[in-house]
Amino acid sequence: MTKYIVNRLLGMIPTLLIIITLSFFIVRVAPGGPFASERKLPEVVERNIEAKYHLDEPLIQQYGRYMFDILRGDLGPSFKYKDYDVNYYIANSLPKSVVLGSWAMLIALVFGISAGIIAAVRQNTWIDYTSMGIAVIGISIPLFVIAPVLQLIFAMKLKWLPTSGWYTTGEGYATVILPAVSLSFAYFANIARLMRSSMLETLRSDYIRTAKAKGMKNTTIIFKHAMKGAMLPVVSYLGPAFAGIITGSIVVEQIFRVPGLGKFFVQSSFNRDYTLIVGVVIVYSVILIVMNFVVDIIYAQLDPRITYR
Amino acid sequence: MFFTRNKKKNAALNEFDQVVEGNSLSKDAWKRLRKNKAAVVGMVIVIVYSLLAAFAMFLPIYPYDQIILDHQHLRPSLTKTAGDLMMENKLKDLYFKAWRAGTLVVTDAQSKQIETWIADNETNNVWDFCYTEGQKQLAAGTFTFSDADQRTIDRLQEKINTEFLIEVDKMYYTDPDTGKTKNIARMDFEQIKQIYADYLGVDVAVIAQQSDQEIRNQVLNKVKAATPGLSTEEYEANLELELQSMGDKGIATLGKSNMLVSIKTAISRSIERGLKQEIKDGTAKFPVNRTVVVNEKISAAITADLKHTRHYYLGTDYSGRDMLSRIIYGGQVSIAIGLVGTITSVLIGIVLGAIAGYAGGKIDFFLMRLVDIMYGLPYMLLVIIFMAIFGRNIMNLFVALAIVSWLTVARMVRGQVMSLKNSEYVEAARSMGASTWRIIFRHMVPNSLSVIIVYSTLRVPAFIMQESFLSFLGLGVQAPYASWGSLVGDAVNGMTLYPWKLIFPALAMTIFLFAMNFFGDGLRDAFDPQSKNQL
Repeated sequence: MTKYIVNRLLGMIPTLLIIITLSFFIVRVAPGGPFASERKLPEVVERNIEAKYHLDEPLIQQYGRYMFDILRGDLGPSFKYKDYDVNYYIANSLPKSVVLGSWAMLIALVFGISAGIIAAVRQNTWIDYTSMGIAVIGISIPLFVIAPVLQLIFAMKLKWLPTSGWYTTGEGYATVILPAVSLSFAYFANIARLMRSSMLETLRSDYIRTAKAKGMKNTTIIFKHAMKGAMLPVVSYLGPAFAGIITGSIVVEQIFRVPGLGKFFVQSSFNRDYTLIVGVVIVYSVILIVMNFVVDIIYAQLDPRITYR
Repeated sequence: MFFTRNKKKNAALNEFDQVVEGNSLSKDAWKRLRKNKAAVVGMVIVIVYSLLAAFAMFLPIYPYDQIILDHQHLRPSLTKTAGDLMMENKLKDLYFKAWRAGTLVVTDAQSKQIETWIADNETNNVWDFCYTEGQKQLAAGTFTFSDADQRTIDRLQEKINTEFLIEVDKMYYTDPDTGKTKNIARMDFEQIKQIYADYLGVDVAVIAQQSDQEIRNQVLNKVKAATPGLSTEEYEANLELELQSMGDKGIATLGKSNMLVSIKTAISRSIERGLKQEIKDGTAKFPVNRTVVVNEKISAAITADLKHTRHYYLGTDYSGRDMLSRIIYGGQVSIAIGLVGTITSVLIGIVLGAIAGYAGGKIDFFLMRLVDIMYGLPYMLLVIIFMAIFGRNIMNLFVALAIVSWLTVARMVRGQVMSLKNSEYVEAARSMGASTWRIIFRHMVPNSLSVIIVYSTLRVPAFIMQESFLSFLGLGVQAPYASWGSLVGDAVNGMTLYPWKLIFPALAMTIFLFAMNFFGDGLRDAFDPQSKNQL
């Protein structure tokens, strides 16, 4: 097992290297250059700026410096905002996004798994049909349609929940509900569908029949025996789900005006603030890679058939 | 088939003298697909949408990019014309102001209700209430507009009744010497210059100089947009280079199209004057569809219609464009991106997957490691970066989406190719001397096509969602073009006031995605009955 973990950890390195390299060259290739402005700067000023940001060194040296800085955790200066560097902005907004994403994931998992199990156990009843109907809706309606519609219904018409904002700025914890629910909807749907089909398959397998023949209680069979095996497809879906929640949170933060990382990302891509964009992407990628790693480990733990090579 | 058919001479017969027909995979799949009601409905909807999108230019709808500022934010209506709605909006406003001023008398309870509506930001309720109440009182004679208000209303009514739009379809030039009539758009640049100069009564040299300057400015703007952040001298140099590469012919084409636009504007202005006079005389009858003689040399075929008699069945957007046609043209863009993106990514995936699977060894190892690594990347973010850096246009969107989404196809094709590599028919083809490429693309790929087709149908809605996602953020399709995503994105900010802007595009998109998903699911079940109920 340890060897497997070490192997997977080593496997993360090339991915990270590629991301950093890509980001470096994207910033360099980008037309206009970081300090191009409408009016021409005096030669001396330009040279001073270049020296300050080490743009006068050969490319290889710049690349090495960039790589070293990032491995140290320094994402460099922002090209547009002069007061703070990229690290500051990310550190300020990341926690909000993480809270939002975790709630969304939690909601999707809890409701998705329960809906899937109920639908499978009570196959072809109205419970099955309603939960799978909701799931189909969740898969077909894009996030940026669900979110405004929920906002329109629950915040503007019924006035049960606040329309926008975030609890850190003193608007109460109820602000989390709508963004998290709309973000989780698509993943709830996928998880419920996966859970139902894998649960159905597991319930038909021999070892469940044996358990039934032994006269075990239905709940014990479902939660103790069937669940573990049926969870596998769900666990392997968690990796893509994390990626989706990360990108989805960009839209949700836009609609519900959550001051998180996603909003920054969109703003910086409009401002062409390349270092900030690249910094955000690196942070997102690291989160994603780590999450994929965790998911792999959980999968390996759950599935005894996996050999740790 | 349970009845005897003896059309084919050598048809195989069973012991009951019935023709035994071979059943291909696709035939079998089609049979299963037809039984699946949801999938068939989905397929029909998809076909209807695709036809609408493909033949959008032949549909009797208004241009999707025509901006009429008077028609901003008109609500959808099946019966009322744009003019009626404009008047309704004006009246709503006036009645509301009258209520504020105290001239529109309502009961205390009603006043309180209005106050709570205002406090709750429910402007539409306030307006509707004021409008119905005002109309009632106006009819009953208990309320009259002030003189100033009445004048505003009359002026608007006058405007609605008289304003018109002219479209110059074709322009003709009659040569005074020969008497021949020619379409101006078919003439060459020099002739058009001459005609325009004659029309304006100025020297050709002046026109030529103007046109030259215009071309230079256009090209310069293009250069500036393509490479931002250069100095003035560099731009000048780039401009010269660009002009040189365009050549005399390119310059003439650009100049000609500019010149045609100027002539069109000049002509339509003069026709407008004539039509206005006709309206004053009361002789005008709309819609106008005729050829107008501008002067002894120039004539034009025009269509004109009253501006405010248009019908907007799905309302208008923030700059008075017809939502119906924007949704249809938006669908065109979205579906096209879905299709082209899927095809491109599938092609890349097929080629790379087949190479990896067939070649094996080091090539396979490196290609698959690349796929693994790219799987770990948040590829939507890469697409966003790509769009942010290389400019936001449809072409870049295609490229960006296609280059990050070939991964799954590559894996799938690789697996298929690896399992087919040692099959007998491949062996046979190889022993007959077929080349590697031929074996891959004529034998192995067609044999794994069913898997690829199923996957592609499920890819299309995903692509459309991704495109719309980007357009929603403002990073995809740019105005005046529309896509479903950008329409929804534009609507989100004013959704309480103008809900139709959100509802109709969202509905159009959702129905299509539903249909596409059902169709794709059905197709997968049909091709591979074992996989039923899996994601």
